[in-house]
Amino acid sequence: MGEGYDADKETFMSVPRKKIPWWPTIDYEKCDFCMECDKFCPHNVYAKTNDDNKKLIVKNPYNCVVFCRVCAKACAPNALKFPDKRKITKLIKKLRSEQKGESQ
Amino acid sequence: MTNYKLCIIPCNGLDKSLGIIARTVALKTIEKEPKIELICPVLLNNGEKKYEEILKSSKIVVVDGCMTGCATKLIEERNLKIFKKVFIPEMSKKFKLKPGKNLILTEEGINLAKTIATELIESLDRSDDEITIEYKEIEDIDYFDITVDKFYFRVPKSGFNFNENDCWIKPEGDLGLIGITDYLQNSASDIMFVELPEIGGKIEQFDDVGSFESVKTVLQLISPVSGEIVSINKLLEKQPELLNQDPYGKGWFAEIKLANFEEDKELLMDCSEYFEYMKNKIMKESEHLKKMKSEKND
Repeated sequence: MGEGYDADKETFMSVPRKKIPWWPTIDYEKCDFCMECDKFCPHNVYAKTNDDNKKLIVKNPYNCVVFCRVCAKACAPNALKFPDKRKITKLIKKLRSEQKGESQ
Repeated sequence: MTNYKLCIIPCNGLDKSLGIIARTVALKTIEKEPKIELICPVLLNNGEKKYEEILKSSKIVVVDGCMTGCATKLIEERNLKIFKKVFIPEMSKKFKLKPGKNLILTEEGINLAKTIATELIESLDRSDDEITIEYKEIEDIDYFDITVDKFYFRVPKSGFNFNENDCWIKPEGDLGLIGITDYLQNSASDIMFVELPEIGGKIEQFDDVGSFESVKTVLQLISPVSGEIVSINKLLEKQPELLNQDPYGKGWFAEIKLANFEEDKELLMDCSEYFEYMKNKIMKESEHLKKMKSEKND
């Protein structure tokens, strides 16, 4: 899954992927850098760094599958947060109706 | 306690506190219920005959510390069924107790292991009650199909709606069945374990309503619709392979009382739209794999 993914060209529900702000945020107060999320995510959303305070970052946010939250299941310290799903759904609806308006 | 034999196998990952918690959960469990047989994963991996026999004659409780799922893998590679699964990160969140970072457990870590063991024993007592399995009458389905490389994919020709997370809804009046598509079951490969939602749970469109695991990965069912869970397919707990064999039929996940289907539908695809969407996705992946292969060979 996720192979050959090019975020610039991707759409989700006909909306350009880059217009949808869906990806995890790492709470560095809670994260213990166990790297389980990175090990698990097949879409290369995360990356390891040499910065001791931020050994893990969200490197490719637009690779994240909209509405997918599986990595958070792996996170024992509960350090991964995702946006409000309802707000994202609303935004997608809005963008879709705008696109429709433009194409008419 | 239960009237059948039980055994417990922790991952015992010694390089991580989560693994040590898993091991401690198993030890606390047999301390309270000495009749439960303890399986050492390392010895099992070495081909211990005694364990192979216990595993075949008992219901198996698996305790995994992390997503690597070593204990699960040991059971799955023997083609055995998991009766109950404990996943430490999930429990840690549920009981709001931190596993800690160190390999020597903190008091909180030990407390977490004890709490999990107590709850595990209670849940084993509960599951002793007969589970009623609901069978749904599944009509024959007409399919669009496509074969790419060695994979065969199907999409029903009518009666279903889909989201872009590869999950379906089959509406019938104000009720609807939900499940995963052939594409999703194919990308998971052999599904070994299913986590179903709870009956009575209220869900919103695009909520995560369940998950399923294969040796390869863990995936979620992201609900195409909003509503209330009115029944679940308990049979999947015994026969998770139905998700692979018949994802649009016997592999249904849950039944939902639809809350707002007309509005939810605006963000869903019909059968032929989804078939096109899925085809595109498969072709892209296949091209990418071919490219990777040829780059590797160059």
